[in-house]
Amino acid sequence: MSHKVHFLPDEKNHEATRLLPYVMAVMVYLSALALMGGMVLHKGFGAWTDTLSNKLTVQITEDDPEKRAAQVNEVTALLKATPGIVEVRRLDDQEIAQLLEPWLGAGNVTNDLPIPDILDVTMSQSLKVNLNAVQSMVAQISDNIHLDDHQQWLGRFLRLMDTVEYTALGILFLVVLATVCIVIFGTKASMAENRETIAIMHHLGAQDAMIARAYQDRFMKYGLKGGAFGLLLTYITLISLIYLSRDLAAGLVTIPEMPLQEGFILLIVPFFAALISMVTARITVMRDLGRMV
Amino acid sequence: MIHFENVGMRYGMESEVLKDISFNLKPGSLHFLTGPSGAGKTSLLKLMYLAHRPSRGKITMFHEDVVNTSRRDLPKFRRKIGVVFQDFRLLDHLTAVENVALPLRIAGGKGAEIEEHVEELLAWVGLKGRMKSRPPTLSGGEKQRVAIARAVIKRPDLLLADEPTGNVDPVIAKRIMHLFLELNKLGTTTVIATHDMELVKMVGADRMHLTDGKLQLIKAGESMPDMQEEDFDFSQYQSPTLNQDDYGPRPYDPVDADEGDRE
Repeated sequence: MSHKVHFLPDEKNHEATRLLPYVMAVMVYLSALALMGGMVLHKGFGAWTDTLSNKLTVQITEDDPEKRAAQVNEVTALLKATPGIVEVRRLDDQEIAQLLEPWLGAGNVTNDLPIPDILDVTMSQSLKVNLNAVQSMVAQISDNIHLDDHQQWLGRFLRLMDTVEYTALGILFLVVLATVCIVIFGTKASMAENRETIAIMHHLGAQDAMIARAYQDRFMKYGLKGGAFGLLLTYITLISLIYLSRDLAAGLVTIPEMPLQEGFILLIVPFFAALISMVTARITVMRDLGRMV
Repeated sequence: MIHFENVGMRYGMESEVLKDISFNLKPGSLHFLTGPSGAGKTSLLKLMYLAHRPSRGKITMFHEDVVNTSRRDLPKFRRKIGVVFQDFRLLDHLTAVENVALPLRIAGGKGAEIEEHVEELLAWVGLKGRMKSRPPTLSGGEKQRVAIARAVIKRPDLLLADEPTGNVDPVIAKRIMHLFLELNKLGTTTVIATHDMELVKMVGADRMHLTDGKLQLIKAGESMPDMQEEDFDFSQYQSPTLNQDDYGPRPYDPVDADEGDRE
């Protein structure tokens, strides 16, 4: 790499690029939010699907309590004997009431409601259960026994999850693209502003790489300065969101937790912004100089 | 050192400003480049300091074809050339010292040694008290001296000067000419574009005379048969009266930052 020669005017006198660090701050802010949003949703959705993917819910809706108790015992025994099923647990009345309370309201789950018996079945992660066989065996016991492996709901949920994550990635890509365009415009404007200086440097024997280095160093600094400020804004926004979301959960939905580890990953965003600025500025300068005599 | 063969040059699609230029400058020679305004002196200098490519013809400098040389290789030639531009072309945001030090820094020179040599040279051209001044605060003559110091600081193999004494008083003009002559004695091929015929006669060097883009070579002491007095506007220029005993102190020993590049 060519050595460094100071020849550009000071940054504060550089009209073409003086505002660039602020633009970089906004770009880093937007990309860090998109990245964090993507990571939070991925982690939250992942936790939900992991919970449901090896679960099976069995509902016994028989009206006669005695018959229902017998069917519960029979199905439990059948499931426990099935290879690949790790645990079969009947939910007690209190657990069922807790599940219904968000929809019916606390204290409104009374004994006169036709509440079915529910079996929570945990399947092995490694051994696949033949659900069709289980379904047909259960159907022989009673028509009032229903199996739900959540696959229909999970399928839709996974599609939504993919869409949201790809949208976050798309936003990130667009922000990076916009950043590259802004750096190209900034570099070209700065080169136009300093055209005479660059011509003099050429006459004095400066190589293109030497001139490009001055620009790439400057734009790297813009990326770092703007990036640090943008990241600070991102953390302030995230902390505010965590604070506000505390009161929103209310048992209806589980708000995805703010992943601390992923929060640290955001620290690389300003460096990434600096790298993009630096490389873009260098390529722009080298291409433009290459068209000169 | 420099060989031009049937060189023509035009700007864009306009007619040629230089036509069939052929000459050969030997290493260590001194030439004046004369001619009326618009004759093509600056264009010829541009070709010589590699700021422009010819439209046709062949140019050899430092034993290499520079017409077909790639851009990547041009800096190594440019570092051997010192140029005094008519409009000075200093960097306004740098001080006089920083401007003069630029060729050394570009060539990879570092540290206080550069500054010491630069300050010595600036003092010698009479700018001791203006070293930290920036060009916008300097007078025309002071800017010209900074530009000259920048051109010679690296003791170039080829020195090209466009009206180098046009804006300075006779005493400084004498010093500058003395500096050029000293450099020339040390082996620097020198081409000085000027309107100042008194200066040309005084130094007594060979002359390259341009008229309407065509070049005539005139040996020292010879007069040009078809030269008209009205070709020159003497009123604008002060002529330094050169006297060998009146040169002033011997100039500095110029720094050579990239000895490896030199031939």
